[in-house]
Amino acid sequence: MRKALMRGAVLGMLLWSGTPYAHGQEATEMFIPVGQSPGLSGKVTVIGSIQSVSPADRTIAIAGSSGGSWSAQVTDRTQIWLDRSKLRLQNRLGSFADLEQGRLVEVRYEDSERKGPARWVKVQLTQ
Amino acid sequence: MSTGAEGRAAVTPGFGGWLGGSALGLTLLSACQSVPTPVPDPRSQLVAKGRDIFFNETFGGNGRTCGTCHPAENNFTIDPAFIATLPPDNPLFVAEFNPNLSKNFENPRLMRQFGLILENLDGFADLENKFVMRGVPHTLGLRTSVASPAGPRTGWSGDGAPGDGSLRSFAVGAVIQHFTKTLNRVPGVDFRLPTDEELDALEAFQLSLGRQSDLNLPLPLKGTVAKRGQEIFLDNSVGKCNICHSNAGATANFGGGNLGNANFDTGVEDLPDQPARLTGEKVPSDDGFGRPGDGTFNTPPLVEAADAGPFFHNNAIETIEGAVAFYDGEAFNNSPAGRALAAADPNGKGIELDGTQIVAIAAFLRVINTLENIRQSIEFLEASLQQPTVGKAEELRRLALRETEDSVRVLEAGGLHPEAVAHLKQAHRLTRKAARSIFFQGKYTRDAVRELQGAKGVLVES
Repeated sequence: MRKALMRGAVLGMLLWSGTPYAHGQEATEMFIPVGQSPGLSGKVTVIGSIQSVSPADRTIAIAGSSGGSWSAQVTDRTQIWLDRSKLRLQNRLGSFADLEQGRLVEVRYEDSERKGPARWVKVQLTQ
Repeated sequence: MSTGAEGRAAVTPGFGGWLGGSALGLTLLSACQSVPTPVPDPRSQLVAKGRDIFFNETFGGNGRTCGTCHPAENNFTIDPAFIATLPPDNPLFVAEFNPNLSKNFENPRLMRQFGLILENLDGFADLENKFVMRGVPHTLGLRTSVASPAGPRTGWSGDGAPGDGSLRSFAVGAVIQHFTKTLNRVPGVDFRLPTDEELDALEAFQLSLGRQSDLNLPLPLKGTVAKRGQEIFLDNSVGKCNICHSNAGATANFGGGNLGNANFDTGVEDLPDQPARLTGEKVPSDDGFGRPGDGTFNTPPLVEAADAGPFFHNNAIETIEGAVAFYDGEAFNNSPAGRALAAADPNGKGIELDGTQIVAIAAFLRVINTLENIRQSIEFLEASLQQPTVGKAEELRRLALRETEDSVRVLEAGGLHPEAVAHLKQAHRLTRKAARSIFFQGKYTRDAVRELQGAKGVLVES
């Protein structure tokens, strides 16, 4: 019995290799406008305007639209998307250079505590 | 004795709200009786709304609906045989007649020959080269298969939904990928995104489809071969099927309790001679879950499998026997999942099955699929008797006919239970008679239900 349980546990570790967290599909996420991501916007993400940008440590400071201030680190893994839906244009991949002061952004963090590295950042372009 | 199928029938809320609280209306035979107005059931109303959206809402896009790829009359999936019955202007073929979608949206040849759909799961930056070709998973039994301790699992790789990755969010990604008028995919121009209310309704409808709980194996099967197939299926030293498909569902159990739905790398991508690739068309390798992918794919439930092929994420195998045989092959036994099974085996063996054992497991899967089809057919027919409108009753009878046709096909193709097939064919005839009759609709429908129960009695001990 004990042997069987051990085998089960080993099998579990070997097979269930893993997928550590719920994984939203990021391919189509880039076409969803700021504030409209289902189950995330208003609950998990931070939406606000960029207060300052620090290229040296690749962070942005954000004044939350519903209050509070936030900081997000942009890493090599962070996806940056330009939300051009208000211009009725296709959304595009962006870069750190697109994170300009005053722009509205939505940030999903890697951490559920909403701090540290960003998983993705949407930057809303209106002109 | 109650079988798992019977147990499920009691908790299934039904198809799209038709079988719910709103179903307490007039029948043709009781048209003159006074019937109290039913109290609206909010859940049934939400399911009914979801059904309407699922089959009719195009979200301002290219004409497709969710039902375009998940038609109710074909087990909520599409396959080459079903596709061949569609007219050329069906929105499934939008890439063939909409110039804006003629390139890099679908591959019409692979769609028509193998039922494959194009997905840009690794991004939209290089449409010419970065895509995968996948089959359409059915949406039955989702209540039993979506939940996982690691988060909800949707689509073939488990990460089909944007946002929070939930089934509720799935429709948003589907609209962006499949409903767009142009490859620009601009919300408000090429489509509109579903509202929160629509997402709630779509989720409720999808969760209402098919089984609401897992079987409780073993079933008291009567057929010699299917019974042996069930034994092999459940034997963790021979078939080992039940480890990742607990109770022939979509959840794993390694011995310490149910782990929910899980992803595995079973080596399907390493199969030689995959049909789509034999055509010479470009079919990039599919790396499964995540971006970049980790090679794993989601575990589908098996109860619904036998009439919902082709099988695996790339529709690589056409028959249920072939799908079982896959686990005896090198692609599986050299895969991470196959090696893990071998490592946990006292004799270091992966899965080794002979031809008779493969056929026996397939026979078991055919029988449990038929039992589920019979359960649904009965549910549809009984609900048809309670419909206040002729149209809805007709639609339910049509769905019952489809399920019964599937049952016949699934058993006959495996050379199984000719006596049950005779009952099923008689149930089919009676259902058609019910559809044509004005005065004896109820009688013929009830007779058809009795035949279906007779078929079930041939398959399992009652």
